[in-house]
Amino acid sequence: MNPTIGQPLKRVDGWLKVTGSARYAAEFALPKLVHAALIQSPIAKGRLTTLDLAAAKAAPGVIDILTRANGPHFPPYPADLTKPGSPGENRVPLQDDELHWVGQHVGVVIAESLDDARYAVSLVRPDCAAAAPLLTLDDPAAQKNATMPEKWVGTEELQVARGEVAAALAFAPNEYRLEVIYTTPIENHNPIEAYSTTAHWTAPDQLLLHDATRGIKQLQKVVANAFQLPLENVRIVSPFVGGAFGSKGFQWSHTLLAAAAARLVRRAVKLTFTRAQMFDSAGQRAETVQQFAVAAGNDGKLTALHHQTTTHCSPVAEYPEPCGNMSRMLYACPAVEVSHRLVHLNYTTPCPMRAPGEAPGVFALECVVDELAHQLRIDPLQFRLTNYAEEDEFEKKPWSGKRLRECYARGAEKFGWAKRQPAPRSMPAPDGSLLGWGMATAIYPAKQQPAAAHAILSADALLTIRSATHEIGTGTYTTMSQLAAHALGLSLENVHFELGDSQFPQAPVNGGSWLTASVGSAVLAVCAELKKKVVELAGSWPNDIAGLKDALARSDQPQIEAGAKAEPDKEEREKFSFHSFGALFVEVRVDSLGQVRVTRATGVYDVGRILNPRLARSQIYGGIIFGLGMALMEATIPDLQTGRIVNANLAEYHVPVCADIPEFDIDFLDEPDPHMPDLGARGIGEIGIVGAPAAIANAIFHATGKRVRDLPITPDKLI
Amino acid sequence: MTPFTYSRASDPQSAIEGVAANAQAKFLGGGTNLVDLMKMGVETPAQLVDINRLALTQVEELPNNGGVRIGALVRNSDLAEHQLITARYPVLSEALLSGASPQLRNLATTGGNLLQRTRCYYFYDPAFPMCNKRNPGSGCGALEGYNRIHAILGQSEQCIATHPSDMCVAMAALDAVVRVQGPQGERTIPFADFHRLPGATPNIETNLRPNELITAVDLPAMPLATRSHYLKVRDRASYAFALVSVAAILEMDRGTIRSARVALGGVAHKPWRATQAEKKLAGQQPNETTFRAAAEAELAAAKGYKYNSFKIELAKRAIRQALTTVATMA
Ligand SMILES: Cc1cc2nc3c(=O)[nH]c(=O)nc-3n(C[C@H](O)[C@H](O)[C@H](O)COP(=O)(O)OP(=O)(O)OC[C@H]3O[C@@H](n4cnc5c(N)ncnc54)[C@H](O)[C@@H]3O)c2cc1C
Ligand code: SF4
Repeated sequence: MNPTIGQPLKRVDGWLKVTGSARYAAEFALPKLVHAALIQSPIAKGRLTTLDLAAAKAAPGVIDILTRANGPHFPPYPADLTKPGSPGENRVPLQDDELHWVGQHVGVVIAESLDDARYAVSLVRPDCAAAAPLLTLDDPAAQKNATMPEKWVGTEELQVARGEVAAALAFAPNEYRLEVIYTTPIENHNPIEAYSTTAHWTAPDQLLLHDATRGIKQLQKVVANAFQLPLENVRIVSPFVGGAFGSKGFQWSHTLLAAAAARLVRRAVKLTFTRAQMFDSAGQRAETVQQFAVAAGNDGKLTALHHQTTTHCSPVAEYPEPCGNMSRMLYACPAVEVSHRLVHLNYTTPCPMRAPGEAPGVFALECVVDELAHQLRIDPLQFRLTNYAEEDEFEKKPWSGKRLRECYARGAEKFGWAKRQPAPRSMPAPDGSLLGWGMATAIYPAKQQPAAAHAILSADALLTIRSATHEIGTGTYTTMSQLAAHALGLSLENVHFELGDSQFPQAPVNGGSWLTASVGSAVLAVCAELKKKVVELAGSWPNDIAGLKDALARSDQPQIEAGAKAEPDKEEREKFSFHSFGALFVEVRVDSLGQVRVTRATGVYDVGRILNPRLARSQIYGGIIFGLGMALMEATIPDLQTGRIVNANLAEYHVPVCADIPEFDIDFLDEPDPHMPDLGARGIGEIGIVGAPAAIANAIFHATGKRVRDLPITPDKLI
Repeated sequence: MTPFTYSRASDPQSAIEGVAANAQAKFLGGGTNLVDLMKMGVETPAQLVDINRLALTQVEELPNNGGVRIGALVRNSDLAEHQLITARYPVLSEALLSGASPQLRNLATTGGNLLQRTRCYYFYDPAFPMCNKRNPGSGCGALEGYNRIHAILGQSEQCIATHPSDMCVAMAALDAVVRVQGPQGERTIPFADFHRLPGATPNIETNLRPNELITAVDLPAMPLATRSHYLKVRDRASYAFALVSVAAILEMDRGTIRSARVALGGVAHKPWRATQAEKKLAGQQPNETTFRAAAEAELAAAKGYKYNSFKIELAKRAIRQALTTVATMA
């Protein structure tokens, strides 16, 4: 295998995964392991008055039950994780009896088998003093507690305004103005692997965790803080995570509960969520209501854009879905106002979900743009070109690199956009169904975080590189090995990348599509450092393995080690606005029964340099599928009397199945971003979903003449 | 899951005796519905009598009359692909293949499919306090709740649940006969009488008597049943229950509809034989006007709720679409 950059290498861990030998958090068979099951709140709001455990304690196999009564005192979470706008909860478990949503964890049964534990949970009788829950965004009582959060995750401004929005809107004649509301439902990440924690106290003050987390270092901090241990006394080992999509980061109660349960029974304890708990226990994307007022001049140029989002959070966090962030600058527009309102409802705590903010926000924005283009009788692609942002008008900075025009042009050419008839319902198919073509822009920030790596070159020229990063399904083992092999001219067989251990050097939470730019930079830096050391010893870097072995043999060291850190270049970050872009063109077929099938899609992406086209394509493919699900079927549905989710299973919470998914034509410009570090790669994990729901919704409008502004677009909304 | 005992029966008689011996016992077929419901705590049998070893796995021609007998333990996959079914009753094959997933169909049995229970959310999760089907007299949680998948025909204020099966819709159109064996011996139940409307007792779903075992389903001879179609409308292309489905069979006579058989799924507490539509079709020309009249007639008595009213229009369109497809078949 040629390991150089740009080669479509297969996954180095593919064999482990398809044979079941990759070990996930729930698969560590520790000695005398016992099983835990969660006791959950039956009501959405109120107080737990008593927890009758008698029957559960007497049930077969039950070892003990962890509740507030016998649980540890936990101090608050580290303050930097619970600032307003941050994801994750600010309420540690078991410290009070308040109930804030159905499913909130109030205890843990520990038993010899999983079945014993779950059966015993069914025998626990919680008694509650129920209060009236807040369950809808428009509930006046919920509206009363609304806040206007300043920042999202501490960095992104949520309330911004420039220019004279009200005046521009008032000035525009009706036919140049549009006021509409878009809504998206609660959605859940639903990775295949459920949350799982295996906790093992190897000594009274030494804790080993196998946790399905994409934030090893952060979780280590959270757990050490909770049990008041030195950081290094908590070790987390998680070599594989079975998908996350935004879940499995941040602080959630089950990790602490599993560790506390293990301490209580002095045995290793495994706690794995049921599928239903994936809906009520650790994160979701909140419902959004997005109100738009937009106007354009008779030249088709936007004159005003007002994007107001209302969304919700649980009472124990302050996390808003940041829908308006891209509206700040995706298009050139002199007057822009973006705002976010957050109300507290009695549903589980939301958190980022693949393309947080961008997925629902750009869906709405790109549909609004389509609506306005249609209203002005301008081709939707032309409308976007007319309003092309030559610079980031929000940050008032040039782009680090933006080739969106090329994406539009190449995508339109490949798709055949020029042949599109503008009128809706103009493409009937022979079977009586309607075809429609739609398009949308994709955009996603290109970020970098500090990261570090450590390298060991052994006497037999085997290179091991370590970093406390994660493999959540995106191919980290492969790309990092590929980068190192490329940097040092080694074959892939001679490179071994290790991750998923809190003892390894610092790496950021996997998220924000920044893994490659962050950890990849550290890997390249450590390779350079190692090379320097070898050159110091041998005079030059040997150009083959034999030469390398030779050089190592001649040195008096058993192995050569190096460490390195990589940080974003502050000056570059100050100077430029970093984003990836893309254009997606979609064809749908809508039948007389309201059933929509995506029949064709062409996406062209400007995401910087492509390290491995096979993995890159699979990220984008998955992203578009994610967007297809969001557009057509995904919705978590609460019962509005009780706050209990009615479809908390994968039979009734629909995600796309193979039959829903056609072959996508995915293409990359593959041009390095000159201001990104090293190879000029930007992230690709999330941009695939951005734009897909809008392109599909716009195609449905083109097919049917019906504008559905409420996701998902199911048959009932089209007949 | 509530603990239970398990035994395996080797012949129908011992299976029936096994279930009769314990008031809390149930037959275990493929388990794809029963075990799910046990995990949810909706079903809590004290004993399971596994009937998977019973020799009821044949699909065979009935002697003398051209009909076909389907053993109660024939798996949905095997039935769908069986040559007697694909050749004589293609609508049944289509219906089966539109249901669930290949893995589920490999396990699901004919008898179990007949007795699968509603997917009503309020029934499926015992944490919801109200459900007359699960807990008679407790009220109906769906009536004022999220009732998008619920019934529009034949429901009562006590229950608006639907029967979720695809297979049964085709069987209803085909006038199948259910053969059962109980402590008092064997009997047959016409398909239309097998499942019940909810009325005031939605907890009683079929006319099966206690401890009766389904042994087979008979399909009558129907030489002209090949002009048929099963249309299923759903929220995704596969692996979703029907919002509305239609089994349609037209018997044509020189350009005129001699007789029609139409049944609907996803609209009622039982597979819904569309007799009003059938009446409007008999003797008519197969055209848009006829189909529209048939659909309107069938749905005339339909009633929707907050989230499922769309099903009325959807069912009408689905009937028209299915009939059009059948009428234009070679
Ligand atoms: C995720 C999912 C999706 C599905 N999608 C669809 C779909 O799209 N369309 C569809 O039609 N179905 C669908 N199904 C339902 C599936 O068809 C049924 O679960 C299946 O047919 C039940 O058959 P079984 O043999 O597994 O029954 P079991 O679960 O074994 O039994 C069901 C009931 O029948 C009783 N029983 C079984 N056999 C007999 C007998 N011979 N005599 C008397 N009583 C008996 C049992 O005691 C039990 O009460 C789906 C199921 C799942 C889990
Ligand atoms: S519709 Fe029937 S099954 Fe559903 S809650 Fe009401 S009574 Fe129960």
